[in-house]
Amino acid sequence: MEKIISIENLNYTYPESKKPAIKDLSLDIYKNEWLSIVGKNGSGKSTLTKLIDGLIEASSGTITIAGQVINEENIWDARKRIGIIFQNPDHQFVGATVEDDVAFGLENQGMPREDMIKEVDRALALVKMSDFKTRDPQSLSGGQKQRVAIAGVLATKPQIIIMDESTSMLDPDGRKTVLDLVQQLRKQQDLTIISITHDIEETELSQRIVVLNDGQIVKDGKPVDIYDLGSNLRKYGLEEPFSSKLMSIIRVTEKLPEGYLSEEELKQQLWKLHSNM
Amino acid sequence: MDKIILGRYLPGDSIIYRLDPRGKFLLTFYFVGIVFLANNVASYAFLLAFVLFAVYLSKINFGFFIKGLRPIFWLILFTVALQLFFTPSNHPLWHWGILTFSKEGMVIAGYIFIRFVLIIFISTLLTLTTTPIEISDSIESILKPLKKINFPVTQVALMLSIALRFVPLLVDETTKIMDAQRARGVDFGEGVLIKRIKSFVPILIPLFVSSFSIAYDLAIAMESRGYKDGEGRSKYRVLSWDKRDNLMVLFMAVVTIILLFLRSY
Amino acid sequence: MEITFEHVTHSYEANSPTASLGLDDVSLTIKDKLFTAIVGQTGSGKSTLVRHINALLKPTSGKVIVGKRVITSETNNKNLKPLRKQVGMVFQFPESQLFEDTVEKDIMFGPMNFGATEEEARKAAHTMIKLVGLDESLLSKSPFDLSGGQMRRVAIAGVLASDPETVILDEPTAGLDPVGRLEIMNLFKDLQEKGKTIILITHNMDDVADYADEMAVIHSGKLIAQGPPKEVFNNQELLQDDVLTLPHSASFAKELQQKGFHFDKLPITINELGTEIKQQLNGD
Repeated sequence: MEKIISIENLNYTYPESKKPAIKDLSLDIYKNEWLSIVGKNGSGKSTLTKLIDGLIEASSGTITIAGQVINEENIWDARKRIGIIFQNPDHQFVGATVEDDVAFGLENQGMPREDMIKEVDRALALVKMSDFKTRDPQSLSGGQKQRVAIAGVLATKPQIIIMDESTSMLDPDGRKTVLDLVQQLRKQQDLTIISITHDIEETELSQRIVVLNDGQIVKDGKPVDIYDLGSNLRKYGLEEPFSSKLMSIIRVTEKLPEGYLSEEELKQQLWKLHSNM
Repeated sequence: MDKIILGRYLPGDSIIYRLDPRGKFLLTFYFVGIVFLANNVASYAFLLAFVLFAVYLSKINFGFFIKGLRPIFWLILFTVALQLFFTPSNHPLWHWGILTFSKEGMVIAGYIFIRFVLIIFISTLLTLTTTPIEISDSIESILKPLKKINFPVTQVALMLSIALRFVPLLVDETTKIMDAQRARGVDFGEGVLIKRIKSFVPILIPLFVSSFSIAYDLAIAMESRGYKDGEGRSKYRVLSWDKRDNLMVLFMAVVTIILLFLRSY
Repeated sequence: MEITFEHVTHSYEANSPTASLGLDDVSLTIKDKLFTAIVGQTGSGKSTLVRHINALLKPTSGKVIVGKRVITSETNNKNLKPLRKQVGMVFQFPESQLFEDTVEKDIMFGPMNFGATEEEARKAAHTMIKLVGLDESLLSKSPFDLSGGQMRRVAIAGVLASDPETVILDEPTAGLDPVGRLEIMNLFKDLQEKGKTIILITHNMDDVADYADEMAVIHSGKLIAQGPPKEVFNNQELLQDDVLTLPHSASFAKELQQKGFHFDKLPITINELGTEIKQQLNGD
């Protein structure tokens, strides 16, 4: 697997704070993977995003993006490879209409207008928002605004998309559409997805989960391995997955296999027990 | 705050909507200027007919224009009353102390009233059919010559358009904060002036705090999308001056000539 | 304090070309001392509904009865304080209402507006900060130096400090992490047990199942269902129309029914679900 981001011994402390927000953190992120970074509020998740995109400068350590060690000179090139979808849909909508907002990143690159028109249409089609092209943000739902934000990022053809708690302010419908869309785009556009969340159920679609606590990585593994921590996840401010909670109730009287089962696996297991009765 | 029509855009489509915003913007100002040239019944009637025709062409419900008058209703009433009772006359119909009521007063009051209606209607027409961003684009385009003296026209235009973009959001935020403080027992518009002013502190501070936090988030989002310093940017939105815009200018010239003719009639 | 809506209709910008209907002939009773959840899709009218309870909005027609107080379109804006003292309201992202230079003063703001003495208000601030799970030492700090989660709790303390009989919560846990969410929800359940009426607006059906005694479903400004969550979540018509999503446990139970398992009524909490599965596997 090809590395796309490599972080080594990263440290960061906010100017007004004594406690480091990121402590000696090292992490490799591979091409086309969906990596979820989870942890409670204040665990350092969002700080890490800002460091990767060079929006704040690390106290020490290095970040390598696509083979290039990030420094002040090449940060603008690195940023072109990364698109970030932030938490609050209203606070990142720059344009007066959907199409203007999607074009913003392209305008910044100085792309000629004829090319921009094509790119804006392409990006809006990818997120299925073409019908909303001339609408103003006030008339869109939260989920629709986030889809526009994704289109705005896709227009500039990045390799990496960071979702910085992008679904936490959406209602369940909006959340589902956005996550399904991102999954589809990852496959279709060969993107690397880094999603930052404190909702364990949102990590279902990811291939790898990193648990952050007090600015350090405390767990790094496949979703099954992380979910297998069960009630121990509470230590890191996370919720125990539904199936693992249900299993511990049923286990009191019934025999269930050891380890974590997904909801689908648990269902099969329960059906088997029922038919053996 | 929802009640103010002047300054609000209403999505729609008609010839007036499709006109170039620069033309609409400048000609609206021009029209407000020539309203003051009208001096008799014929010229006022003509201008009124012109405005009503423009309103008709816009295909917008007439109710919106009437509503546009509402916020300044008292100002209109006051000014009209002033003319009605204070216009000096040699043949007063009624006289009491300093108050004079005469035919001349009635005529002048009528003119003033029509003038208000004309100005409000035409500017309501501009804002109802032109998005704030089109107005900001027009201002940018009109200010373009100032680039020669190193005035940062594009940056100022971007600032203006972002400010316009966030007005509705801040209005919502204000309403929400006001409701939240009302629920905590604040009574706006109660007590003496100083107490009333004080009751706005719990609104203003949270509003400042959230404006700053929006501004910070937005700056981060803009930077992450490659916004550097406004140099080397291209433009997605362009204004195009059409044949119908030439026609509009021509039409306005004809209106002016007819007006000048009616003036001396 | 019982709250009754009688044929309440609320039209935004009534008599204007842009009028829109926020509530459409809603009749509803919110029972005293119960935990009532109000659910519905974004823009369905939930927030419009609850803003009538403390007269932030007034009905265009119909009336709202809160205890002995009747609110109609004619209700005067003066003298609403006694009503607003009785009905506390925690808005979405309530941290944006903080404004004083210390946490203590901010919590005291509500009680003092409602006529408490400085002494009483200060006492309330000290009680409330502990109630919401924060340390008393934070009282002397500026609210703007706190973390987002702490600010949320201070804002909630500021509403509770006036000792309202009814507490309305508009998605109070939005954006909080799971641990914070659980603590805040348990706090509201405790308040109910101490005799307060709780009204919660939420999108989280698991919270409805876990905490609410009653629920009301609002759709396009209309009340389309009301009752105990177990009944409402088993209302087939509602589920078919896709206006209501099920709690996690209920949807899992529904899937289990495809083979072997049978539930007379879908269980809505994880404990109910676990117990029923165990019973069915033991063959009772």
